[in-house]
Amino acid sequence: MSATPILQLQGATRRMAGRTIIDGVTLALDLGCVLGLLGVNGAGKSTTLRMIAGVLAPSAGRVLFDGRDLHEEPDLARRLGYLPETPPLYAELRVDEYLMFCARLHGLRAADARKAVDRAIERCGLGEVGRRLCGNLSKGYTQRTGIAQAIVHDPDLIVLDEPASGLDPVQAASIRELVRELGRERAVILSTHLLHDVTACCTRVAILHGGRLRHDGAVADLAGDNAHGTSLEKVFFRIAIGDDAQAAA
Amino acid sequence: MSRVIARNEWRRLFAQPLAWALLAATLAVLAYFFLLTLQGFLGLSPKLAGLPSAPGMTDLVALPLLRAVASVLLIVAPLLGMRAIAGERQSGTLALLQSSGIGATRIVLGKFIALCGFFAVLVVLAVAMPASLAIGTHPDWGRLCTGLLGLILFAAALTAIAIAASSFTRQVVVAAIVALALNLVLWMLDAGARHEGVSSDFINYLALPTHLEPFLRGIVATVDVVYFALIVAVALTLAARRLDAEREAG
Repeated sequence: MSATPILQLQGATRRMAGRTIIDGVTLALDLGCVLGLLGVNGAGKSTTLRMIAGVLAPSAGRVLFDGRDLHEEPDLARRLGYLPETPPLYAELRVDEYLMFCARLHGLRAADARKAVDRAIERCGLGEVGRRLCGNLSKGYTQRTGIAQAIVHDPDLIVLDEPASGLDPVQAASIRELVRELGRERAVILSTHLLHDVTACCTRVAILHGGRLRHDGAVADLAGDNAHGTSLEKVFFRIAIGDDAQAAA
Repeated sequence: MSRVIARNEWRRLFAQPLAWALLAATLAVLAYFFLLTLQGFLGLSPKLAGLPSAPGMTDLVALPLLRAVASVLLIVAPLLGMRAIAGERQSGTLALLQSSGIGATRIVLGKFIALCGFFAVLVVLAVAMPASLAIGTHPDWGRLCTGLLGLILFAAALTAIAIAASSFTRQVVVAAIVALALNLVLWMLDAGARHEGVSSDFINYLALPTHLEPFLRGIVATVDVVYFALIVAVALTLAARRLDAEREAG
């Protein structure tokens, strides 16, 4: 493991249409860590992930990947896998064709890409639907294909925006298992608004509210209803509802 | 990396009915037009035989057909190019391209290469119609070749315009309408100005027919090649800039 964190956000700020969506977020992430990014709707989770993935540039502050500025060296994004909220699938392509394209897009040579596609298909349990059109997949397989495109090129950092949203409990559990497995060797950021997702598969949790990072710590410190009254649920609701109550007052 | 995008775009084009339908409908219309002009030429040929330096098949069949191809391209290019970026934006797949780190220029170039490939196929098949008459007559191969080159450059310019229009919106229909409007303005600019009694070298230079017509008449001039290259460069730069600005401004 390198001494430099694989990802660092240094005062990352994002303004859109005159509004500050993300306000000075600072955090660092090492390999082997699964970070759960929690927040209510509109907290700024997706915008943060889009900045980390290089889709949006920060208005202020920096996003460093392996110690280098992602905005100045966009090629670094090849070592990063990103699943947006809506899986970016081409409905008219077969799953294997689509994954082949994703692998090639991230710089893999044709022969390596073929092997990488086979690995991703196996890992995400897509064997049955490998030759089916992406547009004909069920919600569960669509999410799995989305995750497969994010890991096909074997990235160091995987960014997943609500990967289990809209899935049934069995599918959600298998996605969580997959995320846990991915997090053993790589760094994973998982955005969700389900506390259970965080306790089930994350080692760290960060809570965003109103575009600011309000909590960053180990999930183990917030396990259960501990003696300090600082369970994840309590911390989350204190931040989410407390602020709204204050604002209402 | 543009090649990867281009190959994927090409595969997606032919995996959907739109490209096939446009190709089939366009070629059917052009084939019908070709047969009509050929019939007209065959009816005239006994009279033409007596004239000194009478116009031949290339003038009376091939040239009108190549002009018809150009007119059809004005409409078909926006229809095919409208989804290039707006469609990706609408379906959420633009994030996949943007997060891959390949950069806006390569994305735009890849799309451009694929669409130009499609139009090259269309133009070659259209030019093959008068070329097929070589079994019974002697076409002017030089003019057919310059016409083919001119139409490919013309199609490249229209494709670049369609991609630029597509980069500024997430509504594919809006992209098609904007591209079509731009094409028609550039097509009719000079004729419209002359109709209003305005004669300007600058307006004449801006008009598409000013630079296509010499190719159809067998003349390859640097000024015309540069004109089409300029349109392509300006339109693709605008599209790439727009994608970059989106990353900066959201």
